[in-house]
Amino acid sequence: MEQPTLMQVTDLVKHYGDVRAVDGISFAVADGAVFTLLGPNGAGKTTTLEILEGIREPDGGTIEVFGQRLRRVDRPTKQRFGVLLQEGNFEPHLKVREVLTLFSSFFDNARSPKEMLERVSLTEKAGALVKNLSGGQKQRLAIAAALINDPELVFLDEPTTGLDPQARRNVWSVVSDLKSTGVAIILTTHYMEEAEALSDHVCIMDHGKLIAEGSPRELTASLGQETMIEFAANGTSNEDLAPLQQCCKAVRTAADLIVVETTDLVATMESLLAWSKIRGHELANMTVRQPNLEDVFLSLTGRRLRE
Amino acid sequence: MKDILQIARSHVVSAIRERITLFWFLIFPVFLLVILALIFGQVGEEGEITFQIALANQDAVSSSFASAMIESAFVEVSSSAAPGKEPLFRLRRPGPGEDIEAFIEAQLLAVRRGRLAALIILDAGSGESLTTDAPSEAAPAVEVHYSEGNAASGMAVSIIDQILAGIDRGMLTQAGAFDPGASIPTHKAYVGSAEDEAPYVDFLLPGIVVMGFFMNGLFGIPGAILFARDQRVLRRYWVTPLTVPRFLAGISLGHLALCILQFALVFVVGRFALGATVNFASLSAALVLLLAAATFMAFGFLIASVSKTANSGMAIANILNMPMMFLSGLFFPIAGLPGFLRVIVHVNPVSYLADNLRASLEVGAATYAPLVSILVPVAWILVSSAVAAWRLKWDVGR
Amino acid sequence: MGCRTMRAFAALLQTEMLIFLRDRISLFFTFLFPLIFILIFGFVMGDVDQPTARLGLVSTTAESQEALADVLAKSGVDSVRTFEGELELREAVFMRDIDFGLLWNGTSLEFSYNPNRMQENYAFEQIAAGISDAFNLRAQGASPMLPIEHIHVGTEASTRWFNQMVPGVIAFSILSSGLFAVSGHLTAMKERRTLDRMIVTPMPPVALLAAIAAVRLVIVYISTLVTLGISILVFDLSFSIAWIPYTLLVCCSTIGMMGLGTVIALVVRKPSSAGNVANVMAMLMLFLSGVYFPIEFMPRFLRTISWALPLRHMAEAMRFTTGVADMAVTRFWIVVACLLGLGLGLFPVLARYVVRPQRS
Repeated sequence: MEQPTLMQVTDLVKHYGDVRAVDGISFAVADGAVFTLLGPNGAGKTTTLEILEGIREPDGGTIEVFGQRLRRVDRPTKQRFGVLLQEGNFEPHLKVREVLTLFSSFFDNARSPKEMLERVSLTEKAGALVKNLSGGQKQRLAIAAALINDPELVFLDEPTTGLDPQARRNVWSVVSDLKSTGVAIILTTHYMEEAEALSDHVCIMDHGKLIAEGSPRELTASLGQETMIEFAANGTSNEDLAPLQQCCKAVRTAADLIVVETTDLVATMESLLAWSKIRGHELANMTVRQPNLEDVFLSLTGRRLRE
Repeated sequence: MKDILQIARSHVVSAIRERITLFWFLIFPVFLLVILALIFGQVGEEGEITFQIALANQDAVSSSFASAMIESAFVEVSSSAAPGKEPLFRLRRPGPGEDIEAFIEAQLLAVRRGRLAALIILDAGSGESLTTDAPSEAAPAVEVHYSEGNAASGMAVSIIDQILAGIDRGMLTQAGAFDPGASIPTHKAYVGSAEDEAPYVDFLLPGIVVMGFFMNGLFGIPGAILFARDQRVLRRYWVTPLTVPRFLAGISLGHLALCILQFALVFVVGRFALGATVNFASLSAALVLLLAAATFMAFGFLIASVSKTANSGMAIANILNMPMMFLSGLFFPIAGLPGFLRVIVHVNPVSYLADNLRASLEVGAATYAPLVSILVPVAWILVSSAVAAWRLKWDVGR
Repeated sequence: MGCRTMRAFAALLQTEMLIFLRDRISLFFTFLFPLIFILIFGFVMGDVDQPTARLGLVSTTAESQEALADVLAKSGVDSVRTFEGELELREAVFMRDIDFGLLWNGTSLEFSYNPNRMQENYAFEQIAAGISDAFNLRAQGASPMLPIEHIHVGTEASTRWFNQMVPGVIAFSILSSGLFAVSGHLTAMKERRTLDRMIVTPMPPVALLAAIAAVRLVIVYISTLVTLGISILVFDLSFSIAWIPYTLLVCCSTIGMMGLGTVIALVVRKPSSAGNVANVMAMLMLFLSGVYFPIEFMPRFLRTISWALPLRHMAEAMRFTTGVADMAVTRFWIVVACLLGLGLGLFPVLARYVVRPQRS
């Protein structure tokens, strides 16, 4: 069932001098879906998002949102957006509840600060000064501010970067709650688990370009019915790995790991064990698993998502 | 409209909660007002200031009439005072049996060290010279030792001179050489519309008010904007429908509120603690205050627009603070300044605003033509706004 | 002091020097601020210091003209300008073309003043009183019986208030430098956690503190010399500097003010506030220590307070070593010793309680 397209981006370009931070990307965001831009640091995700949020000028391309074609996102459109910036702060000497009152005044329609605080579980901190909040609490406040106007389209730029696992889980639950209310979300992240857990549609970005897109399942399926065998490299050279190439689909190395892709697990395991005996390789930290988005990225670029 | 009000409220609340801002913008002007009023308001006031002086009568042995008269005149001045006040002089003299030379040595040292304002020595042998009609040029009768660079000393000496002149007249009258009844009367008058010299605090209060607004604009505005920008607080606003002009309107309103608060405090202290009689409840005064608040706010935006970071903005503000405050005639007379500094005075909006405010409060007459003292600040507002509109970066960009 | 400490000290010395030189804002404040201060004050107050008294004269009678001219010549006014009539005279006073006016109509002397020039009128009125007295005598053909001689006690340099102000300003710049070295620089390092990173190494805190002190000392000393030099060049001031006491004073004051900074850093919990508190304290001291205006004019209770302020003593000591004012030699050395004691005494406290990991 095709949901209507809320936002259509065509050939978006942004360069800084010689560097093309965003190099002609196009995608569509469906209503009610979670759309993720996945890529390593420096891929151009944040720049893309900032252009869509209206705080950066694009050098080329068009944006069509809520049925309107725009060169630059304007005020009426912003009324319907909710934005969580990657980096940002609130006035340190304001109280939590005062921040939300302030932000609610920017919109024609907004919910009460009290309601929002409950939604992100910050009610007991309502009277606390911003400068006395922890990192996780500040992030929750930022989410509350981003959603205060009941937006139709929400931008979440790296919402869990730098957060501890508990805080991250909190954010994920907010996102899935949000999704269940039918709001469309554009998310950026460099965490593969996040993309897999939350997204309906993923666009993989690298060096300003879109290198793959689809649902997480479609993307991992593009690697075929494969199993991945992973073990610690321990200084193994490429020549050592040469014999392995014959008994499997692909062998990739990335930093300290060797990843063997295979469609025939049993046969490859036998060859691998034989190889390890001959070379005297320990096969330390060996894991056998299903392919994930990390593998997709690796297969497309030869690099890992997270350095 | 509610967004503008909320921004204004946030600006005011943040400023007040930040303790250090509170100090500089509320407490410091009041402190300065009190200190300057106490210090300079006392100059020339009887009973408020006391000078330590010493007198050594080396003529005491031959006990000439004249030197005894001089000595007793000073003793008289040092012991009489209005009730509850201190006498003008505190007099030290050699004790009974004390060596006069040693006393003089000690007192000269005290003058040099600033502990004594003046030492009067009545020279031995002065008795003879005063019995004739023509005073002897060769032998000084009275020596007044003082420290020229010491302000108190200088003042004490001018008072001593007056007392001595009075004694001199008395002696001439006694000798029949002078008729006090025939003396020429002296009058004092003030030019301009003022009846009399206004009390110093009346002169000072408008200056402090203007200074307070000045510091608000100079430090408060760049501080608020630059730190908010650099810390990416502003960026959180720009992703919402809030626009820059509305944000500015809110900041302006907040700034105005802070100025009013500051004015109220300074005025209350000036009026009720220091006895200022100046009346601000006139339309012209209110308009000048508004103009001042606006001028300095625009100036603050100018500073913000030429600063790359918050720290450099504060540094620029600090650098400009002193010259603009002192080269404005606010606190110090600016008559004797060399040309290039005079230029600064004439360009400085503070000079015009302070002058205009004083004139509209009728504390002394205006130095600048009324039109000029409105036009210059307005010109500053226009130029500052133009530069800020062109150059002020509202977001940290890559 | 072991070998490790010396090596650490040498390395930190270099680092601290580089940090200081590269921080253009700090550099500016240390060197240029006192200079700007002096320059502005020199020009603004130069007038107050050697006040010019320009008199305007209107005589509506030919009587006693010679006597009047004679009296005016000896009276202490710098110049006398004659005007046509009273209106022109009053206008000139109003416009500040002249400082005060005298109208002599044969029966009375009328002096007119500009009511805006409150602080200066006092001096003009003194001169006017002198003119009045002298003229009265002359008009009756009498002359003063008492020959009065005014003798300045002290050095040539001490005759100008501005000459006294410069050492005061220098003392203030030393105070700022020492104070902010701890409550400013060190506390900022603490807040940014730079200090934490150093503390977890074997670096001895003493080495860091000594390095900070050394850099500050050198910079401050140079800046005081620059300030003196510029004052002499631009304003033709004269100083006679006793170099050994001067150097000792600068060193001990800097150390002493670092001690004061330590007190602030101990008392104020948040490192970022320490800098602000130091700023406020410095400003208060500046006003109450006789640097801006003479102490003699302050009300008694403020004068008493000023005895407790280090800046007052530093300023007076500085005036002494630059030959501008006199001071009991014992008192000078006591002041120097106290400053040194303040700094050295608090040094171990500084090393132990301030150079500590920042607790969040």
